[in-house]
Amino acid sequence: MAQRRVAIVGVGYSQVARNSGKSERHHAAQAAVAALDDAGLKPSDIDGASTWGGDAVDFAWMLGFNRLQWNLNVGTSPAFITPAYHAAMAVANGHSEICMAFRIMMQQPSSAALAAGSASLGAPSPGDTQFMAPFGDFSPTQWAGLLMQRYMHETGATEQDFANFAEVQRSHAMLNPDALQRDPLTAEQYLAHPYITKPLRILDCDYPCDSGSAVIFTTEERARDMKQPAVFVEASALSAIHDMNFEVMPDMVRTSPAHCAEVLWSRTDLTPADVDTAQLYDGFSIITMQWLEALGLCPPGEAARFVSAGHTRLGGSMPTNTDGGAINVGRRHGANFCIEATRQLRGQCGDRQVPGAEVAVWANAVGPFSGAMLLTKN
Amino acid sequence: MSQPVPPALPNDALTRFFWEGARAGELRILRCQSCGTYIHLPRPVCRHCLSFDLAGEKVSGRGTVYSFTETHKAFHPFFVDRVPYIVATIELVEQPHLHLVSNLVGIAEPDVHCGMDVVVDFEALGPDIIIPVFRPATDRATAVA
Repeated sequence: MAQRRVAIVGVGYSQVARNSGKSERHHAAQAAVAALDDAGLKPSDIDGASTWGGDAVDFAWMLGFNRLQWNLNVGTSPAFITPAYHAAMAVANGHSEICMAFRIMMQQPSSAALAAGSASLGAPSPGDTQFMAPFGDFSPTQWAGLLMQRYMHETGATEQDFANFAEVQRSHAMLNPDALQRDPLTAEQYLAHPYITKPLRILDCDYPCDSGSAVIFTTEERARDMKQPAVFVEASALSAIHDMNFEVMPDMVRTSPAHCAEVLWSRTDLTPADVDTAQLYDGFSIITMQWLEALGLCPPGEAARFVSAGHTRLGGSMPTNTDGGAINVGRRHGANFCIEATRQLRGQCGDRQVPGAEVAVWANAVGPFSGAMLLTKN
Repeated sequence: MSQPVPPALPNDALTRFFWEGARAGELRILRCQSCGTYIHLPRPVCRHCLSFDLAGEKVSGRGTVYSFTETHKAFHPFFVDRVPYIVATIELVEQPHLHLVSNLVGIAEPDVHCGMDVVVDFEALGPDIIIPVFRPATDRATAVA
């Protein structure tokens, strides 16, 4: 069967909150109901489901989906792009007609709980932690500190550039009613925060919360008759270049996004110059910097100065993370970037709308693995 | 309340050489006995030639700082009294990109820079666990190595 052209026709969030008190299933159900409502679809229209967080089959039964002809649960992988990429593939290959991709993410333990020993962080490759933990290396903030430090060393980026990044993202979040953090933030306020893993500060990290996100993929043919303007998957790519040990990667500046972007651009006639808005993962701010360069949206080594010059700001040459990023909307593990890209191309972003946006790229993760998807309006 | 203990080491035949080496005051890295490639983190096979004939070998203990981050928050009870401390990725001189996670000691964070020369030293975290740490290379240390 020839590959079918795929569209996004529905997007939705749960009631995202800090320590919401609601279960994983509850967030999945809320996100699914929101996405179905957005798309104008019934649960029985859905015949495929994928998730990271919980179980797609469990969610499908709970929600009264049709009998699934395709399903997938993913584990450690590049955030929401993984269930999304595979859902789009299932539709493209004819294994599903209308497929819902989920990312359900419950808030992780606080550093206070970790320090007290009442909680611990999961390890992606348990046998390898013996080469990290005795040295006090436990937290993703530590590999992020290493990536950030090396990036600053090689490019001349400064803490002021990262402060400017935080300020720009917050200025976008202030225009987003869904953002959890909307108070004004200055670069000076960023710099006044203590380090967690120097040079990384708390405002370089996504904001912990409980979140559920859902996105519905279907064929171009079906999408044309639906409630929302269709947004098309122009190209997508995954990359994996190393095992899960960020701390020993040979090159911490040009990690998997560089490879992922190479693959992505090889699958489309569009070029970086065609992109109207970029939605680039910011689990840590250094990740967005890597993606700006990897995707060719700014010259190599120039992302920090590109941000400080205002290019990523709404009204700038490459409006980036227009929802405010996960630093402000809360940790939705990349799904917010898919949903924001979709809403931008539909023209539904209100005060933060990028005028005339026709091409958007969203991207997830960094280091060992990552993924990206290019979306178009037509 | 008992004193917090350091993270436990697994009883792992593949990696035992590393910790036995540290207790003997040697930095040992897994090396392919067929093609000579160093493999870190330890794996059962050589990713260069696919030989399974691997053994821990003593290395010079010299390297450079590839990157570093000063940790200010504790993520484990044992480290509550140790913050701030420096986690670093050390590139060992034996092979390009031969990276090892360790701690930098004997130097204040503002004086650390990527590319600086360092040498291994050993620190006892407890009676059963000695870890290889790195300190700035002095002329004498370099000469000894």
